[in-house]
Amino acid sequence: MKTCIAALLGTALAWTASAAELEVVSTLPDLGTVAEVVGGDRVTVTVLCPGDMDPHFLPAKPSLARKLGKADALIYNGLELEVGWLSLLIGKARNPDVKPGQPGEIDCSEGLSEILEVPEGEVDRSMGDIHPQGNPHYTLDPRRMVEVAAYLADRFARLDPEGAEAYRAGAADFQRRVEERLPVWRAAAAGAAERPVILYHRNWTYLANWLDLMVVGEVENRPGIAPSPRHVQDLIYQGRHLRNVLILSAHWDHHDVGEEIAERMGAALVILPGQTGAQDSPGDWFGLIDTITAALAAAAPPAGEAP
Amino acid sequence: MKKIACIAAALAWGAALLVPSTSFAQEGTSTTATGISRAMNPAISVNTLLLGQVSRDDPSREANNIDLQESEIQFTSIVDPFWTADLVIAVHPEHGHEEEGHEGEESHGYALDIEVAKVEYRNMPRGLGLVIGKDYLNFGKHNPLHTHQFAFVEAPIGVQAFLGDHGLSGVGAEAAWNVPLPWFAELSGYAANSPAEIFDPESRDLVYGGRLTNLWDTSDASTVEFGLSGFTGPGAGHEDEPGGRLATYGADLTFKWLSMSRSQGPALNWTNEVLLPDPAEKEGDPLGFYSHLQYRFARQWWFGAGYSRANDFELHEHEEPATDDGLLTVNEYKGNFTWTPSEFSAVRLEAWYQKDTTGEYEDLGVGLQVNFTIGSHPAHLY
Repeated sequence: MKTCIAALLGTALAWTASAAELEVVSTLPDLGTVAEVVGGDRVTVTVLCPGDMDPHFLPAKPSLARKLGKADALIYNGLELEVGWLSLLIGKARNPDVKPGQPGEIDCSEGLSEILEVPEGEVDRSMGDIHPQGNPHYTLDPRRMVEVAAYLADRFARLDPEGAEAYRAGAADFQRRVEERLPVWRAAAAGAAERPVILYHRNWTYLANWLDLMVVGEVENRPGIAPSPRHVQDLIYQGRHLRNVLILSAHWDHHDVGEEIAERMGAALVILPGQTGAQDSPGDWFGLIDTITAALAAAAPPAGEAP
Repeated sequence: MKKIACIAAALAWGAALLVPSTSFAQEGTSTTATGISRAMNPAISVNTLLLGQVSRDDPSREANNIDLQESEIQFTSIVDPFWTADLVIAVHPEHGHEEEGHEGEESHGYALDIEVAKVEYRNMPRGLGLVIGKDYLNFGKHNPLHTHQFAFVEAPIGVQAFLGDHGLSGVGAEAAWNVPLPWFAELSGYAANSPAEIFDPESRDLVYGGRLTNLWDTSDASTVEFGLSGFTGPGAGHEDEPGGRLATYGADLTFKWLSMSRSQGPALNWTNEVLLPDPAEKEGDPLGFYSHLQYRFARQWWFGAGYSRANDFELHEHEEPATDDGLLTVNEYKGNFTWTPSEFSAVRLEAWYQKDTTGEYEDLGVGLQVNFTIGSHPAHLY
């Protein structure tokens, strides 16, 4: 009898403990890593977008809405990166806790101190898939991810005040881990910083900004729209005097154009994982940045290292 | 002269008074010159379909022309802490038949139709939804689609024959529940007053219906969806004979696959749907069916192929019966190529062929459809 009561109490305690955790759904795997480090044992994190999938075009599958239906918090990139699918999932999830304006709806871009490429003046769709609030691909800049971590700690604390201290400690741990790796990452990318760089899509803008890469052009002259043959010709012509050009492309981009430009310019096409878990990149977001900087080092070895 | 000078002075004074207020209005981007805030304006979009078509067998102007197929103006907004609202106003050609005495003449103006006017309650308990207003009824996979979401230029014959040329819509209320199962399951039920041509316009009875949707992830890249639907409403009847209670059931099966490793890469949608009008209420063996396949074979290019069959369906009053019992069975074949330079425009070249089982009716046609969207158009459901 005593054994039964103890078992029941144990089950109840375990249930209470798990009920205290936050069920967090992250739209992107990069943000999922931050949430896991910040939240530690107090959160469980489910990611909607698989690593291999371009987050611009994630289909709004009702099965993803089902995951969102159980969440206490939704964290998302914002700046309209998920504009094509997130509102549908929120509607289909029928979860009042994550609807717009609720404490559980967390736009991580609100934690940023600076947003790049905010359009000046009027924007229209002749410019392509332009984001009126600015470039949304900030998760490839570790400095900004530290800001996201601090922001998540604050927002998680509002939902779970008892865990406020743990969340602050988690954000500090994230910052410490980033600061430990920053010199290694920058050193690995030092060779690339000496080369002219062409971006396939503007998802590398924050990475280029962080690593001081010298961006001389873009394959997609209008974001999200296939480059015209004329633009490709112009890019090759204008870059004909450049040497040792690197073309940065995500694994999900259409490589035929990048390969053609690389061949005709004598440039190196560097295909990188676009986000955590892509291209079998190991581990979490830290592993992603390790993989990206290692690939840059392989394509453009830092001075003193053999090519 | 003095009077003119007075008027000029008054105007100058008035203008001087206006200047500060005008400047103030321009400082705030969310305020109009009238001082009324624009910040709460709804998201507005317009989707337009243009269609040029020729038919080998149908000499009518309707089947051989270039025209606006449909233009939809959509407004979406949060009303207040309690409701979210959608309004869709459609403009489309009005090919109505004139009254008796002018048989054969058709009007060729444009008609306005409110396709959607609904609010959704925002504060329902977890897993529950409530929508009140006008919308397409939640029957099957094809009926809830708006024209610009169709896989082909027109709805399949198997759907048109039993749900009407313009689909089933209605004004009423729908409740939905996300059933807590290991896969996505949604159960919905509705009651509505429907103006659809298959129902008796004189009847005060409502249409009652429901749908169960199930969706499984077969992999990260693919899903299988299975749905069951049904409705019952006041049947339209024939001439002086009152219609009984009309019931129709449906089942649909959809497979979707999308390449994970390539943005806007290869993708495949395969949708199959069967409609079964209650045989007790219908003559013959009525059945509607279609199978639509769409494949994206290049970044901006889709190929589509479709088959549909409408078995023993009743002709509309203004159409010439081809058979003694007024029932017709038609097979339909379609194929198209669609160029989608962006998410906001598409050009579709399509060919279709319909033939009835008696061999008296046949139609081979080709169409070119241009589809474009401006403004803040909401994303489409999966």
